[in-house]
Amino acid sequence: MASEENNNIDYEQGTVSAADLHDSVRRENALHPGGEGTVGISVLVISAVILILGGGQLFSTSNGFRDNIYTSSDYVPETRPSLGGEDGGGAEVAWIDDWMKGGKKVYNNCIACHQASGLGLAGQFPPLVGSEWVDGGTTRLGAILLHGINGPFKVAGQSYNQLMPAWNNLSDEKVAQVITYIRREFGALPEGDDGVVTAEMIKAARDQFSGQAAPYTEAELLAIPAGDNLSGAKVDLQTGEPLPEGGEN
Amino acid sequence: MTVPQPTPEEIKERATIDRSTRYPVMFFFTSAAAWLLAATILGFLSSLKLRVPGLWDECQFMGYGRLFPAHLNALVYGWAMQAGIGVMLWLMARLTRTPLRQTVAVLVTGHLWNAAVALAVCTVWFGFGKSIPLLDFPTWVWPILAIAYALTVMWVIPMFRTRREGLPYISEMFVVGAVLWFPWIFVTANILINKGTAPVMGAGLNAWFISNLSYFWMAPVSLAVAYYIIPKISGRPIFSYPLAHASFWLLAFLAGWTGFSRYMGGPFPAWMSAISGAASIFILLAIVATVVNLMISLKGCSKLWRYSPSLRFTVFGMLMLAIYAILSAASSTYFFGKDLQFSHFMVGLDTLAFYGFFSMTIFGAIYFIVPRITGSEWPSGERIRTHFWFSAYGIITLVITMLVGGIAQGGDLAVWDRAFSVSFVNSSAYVVGRATAWGLIGYSNLLFLCQLYQMFIGKGRKSEGPTLLHTEPGKAASAKAAAGMS
Repeated sequence: MASEENNNIDYEQGTVSAADLHDSVRRENALHPGGEGTVGISVLVISAVILILGGGQLFSTSNGFRDNIYTSSDYVPETRPSLGGEDGGGAEVAWIDDWMKGGKKVYNNCIACHQASGLGLAGQFPPLVGSEWVDGGTTRLGAILLHGINGPFKVAGQSYNQLMPAWNNLSDEKVAQVITYIRREFGALPEGDDGVVTAEMIKAARDQFSGQAAPYTEAELLAIPAGDNLSGAKVDLQTGEPLPEGGEN
Repeated sequence: MTVPQPTPEEIKERATIDRSTRYPVMFFFTSAAAWLLAATILGFLSSLKLRVPGLWDECQFMGYGRLFPAHLNALVYGWAMQAGIGVMLWLMARLTRTPLRQTVAVLVTGHLWNAAVALAVCTVWFGFGKSIPLLDFPTWVWPILAIAYALTVMWVIPMFRTRREGLPYISEMFVVGAVLWFPWIFVTANILINKGTAPVMGAGLNAWFISNLSYFWMAPVSLAVAYYIIPKISGRPIFSYPLAHASFWLLAFLAGWTGFSRYMGGPFPAWMSAISGAASIFILLAIVATVVNLMISLKGCSKLWRYSPSLRFTVFGMLMLAIYAILSAASSTYFFGKDLQFSHFMVGLDTLAFYGFFSMTIFGAIYFIVPRITGSEWPSGERIRTHFWFSAYGIITLVITMLVGGIAQGGDLAVWDRAFSVSFVNSSAYVVGRATAWGLIGYSNLLFLCQLYQMFIGKGRKSEGPTLLHTEPGKAASAKAAAGMS
C-alpha cells in the first residue's frame, strides 16, 4: 500500500509522500561542523615514537637503497650442516674455516699480481705455489708482508725485478689471515706445521721489524734463518684458543 | 548539549534523498549480504578442509585450493566492495545534499558488477584460477569488474562537484579518495601482473594490491562512515577537525607505499621492503590520530553505544582498525615479520581488514541507512545484538588463533631443516579456531541477511522509535529519549 504511493514520487520536484517522512529522518541529529579541540601531549609522544620506529626500520633494513642489494644489512644466513657446519644450534663453525674465509677475502688485494690461482704471471710476478718464501718459516713471510720487498730477487729459481709494497696498513688480524690463507692454500708445509699465523704473532712481528724503514732486499731477508717462525702461541684449530706451551702440533 | 531541531524543509530534503537512493542502495546491500553468507560458508568449508584434509577427497570442487580463493573473492568483491559502494552512494548523496538521479544506470551497473563477481568466484571455483590472491580470476574478468566499478561510483564525482556547502566534509573527502584510489590500484596491479612481469615482482605487486585494498579503499570507506555516524548519533562535533584532515592526507600519502614488506627477505632489492615496512609504521600516525580523535569525540557517551546498533558496530570497527594497523606495522618489520611471513597470521591479518574493521563499520552504516531508505524500523533489536556478539566473538577468535597459530607455523618454517609438513601439523590445531570463527560469523550473518530481506520486502517494524540493542525499562519506545540513536 505504501509502496504503491512511493512509486509515483517525482524526485526532481522534491515531492515526498507522508510515508517517506518517516520517524527515522525526523529524529536524526544535524551534522555539526568540525570541532577545534587539541590533542594531548600523549598523542605527540606516541607520534614521535612511531616516527622513530619507522625511521629505524627504514634505515636499518634498506641497506643503502641500492638496486643490487637484496638483503638487510644485518642479515646472517643460518649455517647449514649439509655444507660442513656443525649440527644443532647452528653457529658452530670451526675457527680455522672462519679464519681461512677471512684470509681469502684479504687475498683479493693480492690477486692483481699473484693471481687467484697463486701462480703469478710468468716472468713478471712471482708465484706463491712452489715458492720457498711461502713454504718456509713464517718470519720471512711476515717481514715481506709488513714492509714489502724490492727486487731483484729469486723465487723458485726464476729472477724477478719488482717492488712488492708494504701491507702494514692492514690490521694484525688481516695480515695474519692472509698469511694463513696463502700458506695453507698454496704452500707445501713442512711436517707438523699447520700453517696458521695468529694476530698475536703479527703484533709481535711489527715490534720485531719496527726498525725497517724501506722495503727489504733479498740479502736482508736471506739474513733471517729460513726455518724461523714468528713467536707466539699455537692455537686449537677448532676453537681458536691458544694451546698450552709444548702441546701437540 | 542542545541539538538544533531540523526544519521541515531539511526533513523533507533528507527524505527526498533517501527516497532517491532506495532501490540502488538496497540492491547493493541485499546482494552484498547474500554474497557475505556465501563467503562465510566457503570460509568455513575451507578452514574445515585445512583441518581435515581428507574430507570430500574425490570432489575437485571441495579442495582447499579452490574453496579458499573462492571465499576470498566472494568476501571482498561480492560482499565488502558491494556493500561499500552502496554506503558510498548514500553517504555522498546525503552529504552533498543531492538526490541520486541515475537510479536506473546504477542498478544496471550493479547487476553488471554482480555478474562479474559471479564469474570471478565461479571461474576460480571451477579451477581456472591463477593462484594470485584476490586477483586470481581469469584475465578477461578484471576489465568487467573495473568497468562496472567505474560506471557505478562515477556518479559520486558530479555530486561532489555540485555540493551545496563549499568546503567538503571529511567523510566526503574519504569517499572521493576511495572512489579514485581503487581503480588506480586495481588496474595497475592487474595490468602489470598480467603483462608478464617477472613472477617475483608479480608476487610483490599482489602483496601491494592487498595492502592497498585495505589502506586505500577499506580504510577510507570505513573512516567516512565513522566520521559520519559518530557525530550523527552522539550529536557532537568531531573533537578535532584539523586532525581529521591531517589523517586523511597522511593516509593518502602513505598508503601507496605499503605492501612489499610481506615478501621481505625475498629476491627484491632490500629498499623495497624497507620502505614498505617504514610506511606501514608511519601509517600508524594516520590511524592513531583518527581513532583517538573519534574516541575523544565520544567521551562520556557510553550509554549511546550500549543502545545504538550503528554506533556500537562503528566503534568496534574503529578499534579493530587500530589493531589491524598495529599488527600490520609489527609484521612488516624483520623483527616480527620473519616468524610471521607466509603463515596463518597473514590470513588472519587480511581477514581482520576485510571483516574486522571494514565489515563491522559497514554493518554500522547499514543499520543506520536501511531504516531511512525503506521507511521502516529493524524488526528485532535482539537479533542485531546477536549479530554483533557473534560477529565480534568470531572475528576476535579468528584473529587470535591465526596470530598464535601463525607464530607457531612461521617459527617452524623459519627453521630450514624442519620438514615443511611439520609446520602444518603443528599449526593445524589452530585451524579449528578459524573454522569455529567462520561458524559464529556465519550464524550472525544468517540473522543479518534475514533482517535485511525483511526490510527489503517491507516487513520491517512500522511503529515509531528506533530499534535499539536494549529497551530501557520504563522509558521503552519513547522516541524522544532515543533521539538520534539509530
